[in-house]
Amino acid sequence: MPDYGHDLIFGSFITPAAAAPQQVVGLARATEAAGLDLATFQDHPYQAAFLDTWTLLSYVASQTERIHVSANVLNLPLRPPAVLARAAASLDLLSGGRFELGLGAGGFWDAIGAMGGRRLTPGQGVRALSEAIDVIRGIWDVDNPARFQVDGTYYQVNGAKRGPAPAHGIGIWLGAYKPKMLRLTGAKADGWLPSLPYMPGGLREITESNAIIDAAAEEAGRDPAAVRRLLNIGGRFGPGSERFLSGPPEQWVEQLAVLTLEYGFSGYILMGDDPAALQIFGQEVAPALRELVAAERRSPVGSEAGR
Amino acid sequence: MDYGHPLRFGTLVAAASGTPEHAVKLARLSEELGFGLIAFQDQPYRPDLLDTWTLLAWVAARTRTIHLSAGALNVPMRPPAVLARAAASLDLLSGGRLGLALGAGDDRDEMAASGAVPISPGALGEAIDVVRGIWSSDRTPLRVAGEHYRLDGAERGPAPAHNIPIWVGGHDPGTLRLIGRQADGWMASIDPMEPGDVRAAQALIDEAAAEAGRDPREIRRFAVIPEFDGPGGRWVEALLPLVLDEGVSTILLRTDDPGALRRFADEVAPAVCGAVAAGRSSQGTAVRTVPSAFVRARRHPGIDYDAIPASLADLAVEPGDAGYAAVRSTYMRGGSPGLVLRPRTAREVADAVAFARRQPVKLSIRSGGHGISGRSTNRGGIIIDLGQLDQIEVVDKETRRVRIGPGARWGQVAAALAPYGWALSSGDYGGVGVGGLATSGGIGWLARRHGLTIDHLRAVELVLADGTLTRADETHNPGLFWAVRGAGANFGIVTAFEFEADEVGDVGFGRLFFDASDTAAFLRGWGAAVEAAPRDLTSFLIMGPPRPGQPVVAQVMVVVDSDDPDTIIDRIQPLADVAPLLDHVIQRVPYAQIMEVPPGGHNGQGEPVSRSGLVGHLTPEFAAAAADLIMGGDTYFFQIRSVGGAVSDVPPEATAYAHRSANFQVTALGASRSRLDRAWDAMSHHMSGLYINFETDLRPERLDDAYPPGTLARLRALKRRYDPDNVFRDNFNITG
Repeated sequence: MPDYGHDLIFGSFITPAAAAPQQVVGLARATEAAGLDLATFQDHPYQAAFLDTWTLLSYVASQTERIHVSANVLNLPLRPPAVLARAAASLDLLSGGRFELGLGAGGFWDAIGAMGGRRLTPGQGVRALSEAIDVIRGIWDVDNPARFQVDGTYYQVNGAKRGPAPAHGIGIWLGAYKPKMLRLTGAKADGWLPSLPYMPGGLREITESNAIIDAAAEEAGRDPAAVRRLLNIGGRFGPGSERFLSGPPEQWVEQLAVLTLEYGFSGYILMGDDPAALQIFGQEVAPALRELVAAERRSPVGSEAGR
Repeated sequence: MDYGHPLRFGTLVAAASGTPEHAVKLARLSEELGFGLIAFQDQPYRPDLLDTWTLLAWVAARTRTIHLSAGALNVPMRPPAVLARAAASLDLLSGGRLGLALGAGDDRDEMAASGAVPISPGALGEAIDVVRGIWSSDRTPLRVAGEHYRLDGAERGPAPAHNIPIWVGGHDPGTLRLIGRQADGWMASIDPMEPGDVRAAQALIDEAAAEAGRDPREIRRFAVIPEFDGPGGRWVEALLPLVLDEGVSTILLRTDDPGALRRFADEVAPAVCGAVAAGRSSQGTAVRTVPSAFVRARRHPGIDYDAIPASLADLAVEPGDAGYAAVRSTYMRGGSPGLVLRPRTAREVADAVAFARRQPVKLSIRSGGHGISGRSTNRGGIIIDLGQLDQIEVVDKETRRVRIGPGARWGQVAAALAPYGWALSSGDYGGVGVGGLATSGGIGWLARRHGLTIDHLRAVELVLADGTLTRADETHNPGLFWAVRGAGANFGIVTAFEFEADEVGDVGFGRLFFDASDTAAFLRGWGAAVEAAPRDLTSFLIMGPPRPGQPVVAQVMVVVDSDDPDTIIDRIQPLADVAPLLDHVIQRVPYAQIMEVPPGGHNGQGEPVSRSGLVGHLTPEFAAAAADLIMGGDTYFFQIRSVGGAVSDVPPEATAYAHRSANFQVTALGASRSRLDRAWDAMSHHMSGLYINFETDLRPERLDDAYPPGTLARLRALKRRYDPDNVFRDNFNITG
């Protein structure tokens, strides 16, 4: 179907290097200064070389004014969902609605186990994530008078108090690649957040994944457009080349316009930890892409071609 | 009962989720009013409270000095291994302001409703093992085989910025004994208006501490006092016995009311401080902090740790400290110093020198820790680490005069000068510190156009061996100023450099990779091309032994001090023609971009082995010998840097760096000292002089290579005057 019609958002994907905490915070500030919308950080709580992502998210939100922050994506197995939900609401309240919840099922089970976490199979991990989303949404759902009960296999809630409520509708974005995760994304999430380098099937894989999400959304009685599609991308600015996202900003704009209008993405998050690239991304790519996409969406021919 | 801890005050706040800004305001007010600690109550099952950990990180970003803690964190709801990394992260982000208060949680039903499993004091002890194990710099993976917590080979780290104290909350005997065995503090609610039996609890803690071989004074005792109202004077009277007779040294005021905070800060805290000081002095109680048994067990003999000056104590790092792994080694050398002092001001540098002089151990001085000669760490001795003295400021725009601390890195200097269109040629790497380089020479990317770094030096301020702070320039202490420019490490510790920067805009930066199979011919050709080039070209060459099945590759880096693309290409072309070119990249970039480096500390191992020599020309004889050295396998890194040009404009007698006629500086790094020395000594007759920063050979002849006789005689005369006791002797000592 694609082009789900969302406004475009642009962000950074920052390595939370423990060796240089203030440089990490500096990249988040550079994200804001570049006019981007979102700073995100990977979360691997079993890796000693990284700062704790939750701590960093709060610190960074406190040191910025406009950008939203999110993990990309948060490791659920080492972060109990009820506490996570209240922490997320707290950060959203403190930041005036600038927090989004990028969430993953976890993948490195040996490392998770070494940290004292529970080792699950990938299939169990998806079911655990599904239960966790119920826990998290249940905590946030303060207007629900019903007793809060989740009788999951992996997570249980037994009459816990609901709240606090976040300041805005926090988006739950899932890092998903395999069919079960994609179906969960369609059924329960507000966003799909894969990394382009992890999709060896390229455009075909994107099309297939979108279709799975859309079908699962419809099956759950949801509008597929309720699931925003965001993408982690790498690339370089420089002389034009045959390679994807390796060229001048105009080439990026053209290529990302295709991803937007034909493959449904509406959020682009730039990897690479390079402040100069963030500046170009925010100052040149983002406004030009917004303009191009807006023009194409207005034009009946363009939107037909897009579909 | 008074353990003699310094008296501190803090606030304990329940942060309402309905008014998130209020908690932040209370934290900032507490800091402003001089409270030393802000703690937030942690009950992660309560929707009316903000999540404590999130709030702590938020508040850390909005405060500067106040310490942060929970009171206490609910361990069953916060997995300890993740909590440990989070704590280290927050300590790093906040500059060492975290205290980690832990507890088993008080409302078991609410915890269970949110899916948490309650734990016993024993499990809390296991959690402490997990947390400390994650923070440890031990290189083995962490295994904890507890009944409640099991870790199976987790990575350790990151290390926090300081030894995060672990405080435990609770009143029951099991918890009190746990505190005696394992904790750094006891945190409990105590109502001073209703005197209870605090002493009995203290005795239980002390008994358990003694059984565990600990000094009870290692454990700080907190009292959380309830809602504060009524006349301040009554509170002073009630709090005094708590401190002087019952062992409490940190008083946490539980309140959400800014008015109460202000009134406590005005009426109670100063009066209690005064009365406690008077009481302690009449009872003869010494005020001090006792380091943990762990820290004490790792101290080195020969260093009087208790005598570390108060001005330096808070930033000092010793082997048992959390931050030790990050400061023990340098870029090239593994170290195990007994003490690292990190002064923030010239006055503190003087304190450090005075202290170090009294200790019968080695003294090393460190600015960036990047030195190839590895002299900025040692084993068992003292390091004065100047990293805190990293200011960079413009003194006068007209004359391009800049003032730079020894701990700044050259990459930071380049970035700071770039907006003015200025640069200072330094070395070839932005991670190098200012001090070590600017007291020896400084052979950098713009050397042929702009000379050595020391040639831009106009004045220094330094701390001498006797602790005197002095200034040296062409008119004040001109002899000292002469000596600092080439042999500075022998004369004192420079605390500020004043340089005259050059106007430098974008430059051409090329990296060329050659097939240098005919190595000698390649070296001759590159040398001739460099010498023939105008001064705006400076080039460095790196080679190593060829990999099996690969050609001999030479990497040539070249900087052209011009922003004109045609000039850049014109200058580089003759170099590109020297041998078959395998690959090349040529860019026009801001000078600061060449000096940009990724962040990171040093983790050198072992001892560096390197030799240095200065040569006039890459003669056929030298080139043949160098080719043999490279192909012989005794060096894994061989570099030639061009000098000459503006470097040679300065007369040899003008600075202590005297070998001004050389056109090239040659460095070889080896794995084996004996093998490299044998190979190098055999070719040393081709060289005349050396550059001290790249030389690790400690044989006395090297002194004669470094300094011509007249220079050395003058240096020695000055050394007798400025450092007669040879305090500064660990880096290329000139006393014969």
